[in-house]
Amino acid sequence: MAGKGGTGKTTLAAALALVAARRGKRVLCIEVDAKGDLPRTLGSTPLGFEPRVVQPHISCLSFNAEEALAEYLKLYFKVPRFARLTPLARVFDFAASGVPGAKDVLVIGKIAFEEKRLEGSRHAWDLIIVDTEATGHVLPQLNAARAMMELVKGGIILGQVRWIDQILSDPQRTLLTICALPEDMPVTEAIELHDRALAETRIAVGACFLNRCFPLTITARQLRPLELAVTSAARRRTVSAALRADPQALLVGARLGQRLGTATQVHLRRLRAHMSCPVLEIPMRAGSREGLATARMVAASLAEPTT
Amino acid sequence: MSAGAARGTARAAGPDLVELLSDRELIVCCGSGGVGKTTVSATLALAMVQAYDIRVIVLTVDPARRLASALGIGAMGVDPVVVPQARLRRAGIRPRGELVAAMLDTKSSWDRLVERHAPSRLSMERILSNPFYASISDAFVGGNEYMAMEELYELHQGREYDLVVVDTPPSRSALDFLEAPRRMSDFVGGRLLSWLARPSRAGWRAVNVAATPFVRIADRLLGSEVLAELAEFVRELQGMYAGVQAQAREVDRLLRSPAAGFVVVTTLEPQPFEEAEFFCTKLREYGMPLQAFVVNRMLPAELVDPAAAAAATAMVEHDRERAAALSTALGERVGAQTVHRLGEAWLTLHRLAVLHERQVARLRGLDDLPVARLALAEHEVVDLEGLAQLIAGLRGRAT
Repeated sequence: MAGKGGTGKTTLAAALALVAARRGKRVLCIEVDAKGDLPRTLGSTPLGFEPRVVQPHISCLSFNAEEALAEYLKLYFKVPRFARLTPLARVFDFAASGVPGAKDVLVIGKIAFEEKRLEGSRHAWDLIIVDTEATGHVLPQLNAARAMMELVKGGIILGQVRWIDQILSDPQRTLLTICALPEDMPVTEAIELHDRALAETRIAVGACFLNRCFPLTITARQLRPLELAVTSAARRRTVSAALRADPQALLVGARLGQRLGTATQVHLRRLRAHMSCPVLEIPMRAGSREGLATARMVAASLAEPTT
Repeated sequence: MSAGAARGTARAAGPDLVELLSDRELIVCCGSGGVGKTTVSATLALAMVQAYDIRVIVLTVDPARRLASALGIGAMGVDPVVVPQARLRRAGIRPRGELVAAMLDTKSSWDRLVERHAPSRLSMERILSNPFYASISDAFVGGNEYMAMEELYELHQGREYDLVVVDTPPSRSALDFLEAPRRMSDFVGGRLLSWLARPSRAGWRAVNVAATPFVRIADRLLGSEVLAELAEFVRELQGMYAGVQAQAREVDRLLRSPAAGFVVVTTLEPQPFEEAEFFCTKLREYGMPLQAFVVNRMLPAELVDPAAAAAATAMVEHDRERAAALSTALGERVGAQTVHRLGEAWLTLHRLAVLHERQVARLRGLDDLPVARLALAEHEVVDLEGLAQLIAGLRGRAT
């Protein structure tokens, strides 16, 4: 799940997980920026690096670069966790904040590792949903394995980043989805992300979600009675008495509704004309501050897409 | 919900941010991505040149393209551009001062940082051409935030402007940004780097190879060529330490001084809002001068009018009867379907507005922090005219 901050990525990631779980899939949600928003939205408290069940069939983990490195070293070098690694951990500290793509490779590597994780003889997860960072950092992240392939000329890592790259560039296994809002700038950015993902990465774009679509359209003709009602003081008084409310207050809201409904249609058209993938509209909800309730509402609208 | 809002009349007048911030030399607008930081900082800058005869520069990090071109800074523009007075007047603003706009280009800021602090020309060239440098600006957490701060500092030191308004890059988290100066000096000068860069005639690997399994592992992981390049890069960076650390300390001091003012911007979506509240707490903890809270894209106060809510509910539940009443009052036939649809649209927004009011009310617990409300604009704000319309909200005039 990619998209600028504020587009509702986390809620959508949670909603998708709920839909998939209801269809019997075993889902893993990965939160890359580890702020705890995704586990919270799934009704849990902030989590650590180990997958934990948060809802029936849904597990969740929050990414942590240091632990990812420790896990990696343990797996491939039989280095016991935290043993004699102090200098390495410190070098890593530097590497994670400064060396190009070090953290990105760990993120993408962890995801690839989970993709291959077995439970008995079958894969542990049917679906992995990754809530990416809000900074639009997703393209360098997706390209981290490839960038590493160019930087690293030998060593074990080379083989591993090749393997990661294979998973990412297989559209049967990996899809990028993009979130947007029915406003000029978020839609422009979604289109840009779509184009750049196609041009600069080998990942396939699977879907675009237009979040917070105003669910109604109001025509100028439908608005007319309320506009007429405020054309003179006398009329406004008469209508006030009839409706038991100031028509001006009703007009302000209805006009805003008209504007939002029109914007929704305009931006849906724009996205559909441009995107190579399906564009799904997610209706605006008076979401509570309780994330799970909102995610359930979005899940309901995902399960029965509007026509 | 305030009494004014409950009556459905205009909300009580808010704080006048122009007056509140008039003694500042720099203003930092921060908040989550997508909440309208650029819009708010540009509006604030505009309001300042309207009110005072001063030279104001607004430095933006990632503006919407149309807004950037409205300010005269296209995709190419890194150099500051004066916004023509005639252009301001056309947007309905009679400027007393002068407005300058610039866009921050973080990549060239990184280059300038190296140019400024590298101990020698040779060292500078070695850093700039090292493969690890190439994407360092992408990878370094807090790097872009630091660059914005350093740019701000340089502009402030230059004394060319009376006021610098900056909008911050979208941060992974509020902390990245506040800790950026400290992280930067840690990064360039930490003990770890000294350890890594320990010069040795015998070569970097020989020193450590016996002591730890580190080099063995790192070698197998990355190949020795990469390690050598990394060590080289680290050694070069060390030369910059003194300069960067001194500068980072200055930036930090400036941000804590009364010359600076922080404005936290948010919308009422739960996540940005929570982050904004957290940000306010942290700013205070860090001793940064937090001046105001701006709630952007508020729904109009009319939408929480209880009488209108009752009327809209009736329009949905008894659409025929309400349509008949409206038809009589207007002397013109109004269809039940129209009445139903209007009521439904109104109620959809009403439910959202009620939640928003509750959220803002909760925020008032944040001591006596002035809270400015910017109404959701009639149209998306993409030009100077749009910005000009937001000035009233920032000046606390009822919307």
